[in-house]
Amino acid sequence: MNRREALARTAWLLGSALSGPTLHAMNRWETAGKQTVPGQNDPFLNETRKAIAARVADLIIPRTDTPGAIDTGVPDFIELMLRDCYEKPAQHTFLTGLGQLEQKEFLTLSPGRQTEMLRRIEADAKKAKGPTFWRIIKELTLLGYFSSEAGIKASFDYQPIPGRFEAIKIRPGQKDFMYGHKF
Amino acid sequence: MNLNTKSEKARTYDAIVVGSGLTGGWAAKELTEKGLKVLVLERGYEVRHITDYKTAMMDPWEFEHRGRVTTASAEEHYASNYFSAREGTQHFYTNDKENPYVEKRPFNWIRAYHTGGKSLLWGKHSYRWNTEDFLANAKEGIGVDWPIRYEDIEPWYSYVEKFVGIYGQAEGLAVLPDSHFLPPFAMTAPEIHLKESVARKLNRPITMGRVAHLTKAQPHHLALGRTDCQVRNRCTRGCPYGSYFSSLSATLPAARNTGRLTIVHNAIVKEVLLHDKLQKAKGVRVIDQDTMEVTDFYAKVLFLNAGAIGSTSILMNSKSARFPNGLGNDSDQLGRNIMDHHLAVGARADIGGFEDDHYFGARPGSLYIPRFRNWGNDKRSYLRGFGYQGGANRADWGRGAAETGFGADFKIKMTQPGPWSINLGGFGEVLPDPNNRFYLSTDQKDKWGLPLVVFDADFGENEKAMRKDIMNDAAEMLEAAGFRNIVPYDLPVSHMGLGIHEMGTARMGRDPKTSILNKFNQVHTCKNVFVTDGAAMTSASNVNPSLTYMALTARAANHAVTQLKARNL
Repeated sequence: MNRREALARTAWLLGSALSGPTLHAMNRWETAGKQTVPGQNDPFLNETRKAIAARVADLIIPRTDTPGAIDTGVPDFIELMLRDCYEKPAQHTFLTGLGQLEQKEFLTLSPGRQTEMLRRIEADAKKAKGPTFWRIIKELTLLGYFSSEAGIKASFDYQPIPGRFEAIKIRPGQKDFMYGHKF
Repeated sequence: MNLNTKSEKARTYDAIVVGSGLTGGWAAKELTEKGLKVLVLERGYEVRHITDYKTAMMDPWEFEHRGRVTTASAEEHYASNYFSAREGTQHFYTNDKENPYVEKRPFNWIRAYHTGGKSLLWGKHSYRWNTEDFLANAKEGIGVDWPIRYEDIEPWYSYVEKFVGIYGQAEGLAVLPDSHFLPPFAMTAPEIHLKESVARKLNRPITMGRVAHLTKAQPHHLALGRTDCQVRNRCTRGCPYGSYFSSLSATLPAARNTGRLTIVHNAIVKEVLLHDKLQKAKGVRVIDQDTMEVTDFYAKVLFLNAGAIGSTSILMNSKSARFPNGLGNDSDQLGRNIMDHHLAVGARADIGGFEDDHYFGARPGSLYIPRFRNWGNDKRSYLRGFGYQGGANRADWGRGAAETGFGADFKIKMTQPGPWSINLGGFGEVLPDPNNRFYLSTDQKDKWGLPLVVFDADFGENEKAMRKDIMNDAAEMLEAAGFRNIVPYDLPVSHMGLGIHEMGTARMGRDPKTSILNKFNQVHTCKNVFVTDGAAMTSASNVNPSLTYMALTARAANHAVTQLKARNL
């Protein structure tokens, strides 16, 4: 296990829900000097690819009786995060994944076919080592949605100032609490 | 620095404290309260209590990157990134790229150059050392003997604990002497199950961590504007309630209340200035970090509280005809015997059941499992011991990325609490070893012209042997509780500095030939210079060190004032 893998594993062991940044930071340490990120003003995704990313995010967190990924600005968030918080190799992995969906004319497929395709991609991702397109887009969609104001308020019992600590009993299906401390 | 620096008189104080962090704050409080006019020199920028906790009240959606650190920022914070990988706290960690150091062997030198220093960021676990901790070096022939015993520091533990405010449960254990406690936070249901199982099957006590949060603020806390912990666990963004102990919430306000405190920021201390004839310090030379302007300040007594590596670097930089190898360094011990606690070792497990159990609040702090190895009748192949911190949590929506599924049902599932899991992380004692050291580079300098610190230290055979027990014993305790999928781990990433418990490099001792500081933290050969941060430590124990630094500082400050009054300094 190299230093990067070890750190990623540690983050997991210490209970970090989001081991991504550390992983990618390590990635960056190893490739420092060799890589440059796209210019601040360059669009990271062209229009088609942005639309594919948006559709995938929408399938991961659809609008139901509560807002979905599109409603909470997840497509823009994904682009911002990829540019600012991911290293070149992960960016490449992501763009390659989008490119493959583009080749398969993902946007023209029926919702059922799209879902089916994502299930295959998810199954393949389970077998892969390291970050995959699926893992990145799913992680960013969940982060973007479950940290958005509308997403939090629709999903959780948000308690920015709990004021006490108690061991409690909950009923089946009860919404989780969110405290906003992991940011 | 915008001070009237014209006359020498205007730059003269009774005492100078270098550093405004955990121990610098204590030195400032004690010295001002005892009547001294005190100058605190902080090398970094000013952070004002509450006003400058800019992220403290921010909601998740207000962070552009939703808490994640950008690659650009991570690159600038290469030492601390591991710990500070959050958008809301990154600004309190020092930019390592602008403040570089050299790693002959890997070392994470994690710094916080601003008012309050690492007291804004510390883990806040506060434990007394036990009687044996002060005796072990002498009994085992390791390093040098401590010049003090538990009895010498005990009244000072009591003194600082009451002011700090520490929650915890009294247990009456010799291995982990009780402090003066505020009421402890509760344990979660699986934690209580673990505690009961381990007590019954392995006869090992598990207690709530002892942590510096006000669970029940006392009148003297309220008087300083500190109130009860709101259980947000956003501590490292700065606490607007002043609920956790820091220089900013507690000691500096107390010092300010005396009307005898002056703090100068952006003031990097280059060296200690000596009297030409007397073997005595007369002041310090300071470089303004922004303007590069050089100013001398004078005082009768100096307290170095710049963090272990910082304080020792100042001594190393203070060269004279009398001290060609650094101030007080006749013994060649300056910079040697770096210690930390070794961690990133332990075990984790999944916890089945407890589906209807949860907790309300984001509890700061965790369980604590006191040392049980090499204690009492237990004898191991290695020396010393270890303790654990950890606890049980329910997974939140963040589990979703690794779980299979997406779509409407998955979305609902993520709004509900996930399964329980638990982690027990060890903190092992590191032995002093003269070959674990840092020194100053002879050719590389920082932008202020000061030589770079070069680290050359790693864990030794004793630590490595201990890690096997840390892993296996943790797994054994999780097994005793019937938890599932137990994964013992010992991560190769573990190296010096990650514990952020840098200790040693100017150790206390009885003999000037083998140590730098005496039993009151005075430089043996320059008695009006005190070093009371981690640099002073003669051994490391396995418990978190901050409480001991605070007690040593208060004790040394008392001694300094007594000696000043007796005209002995």
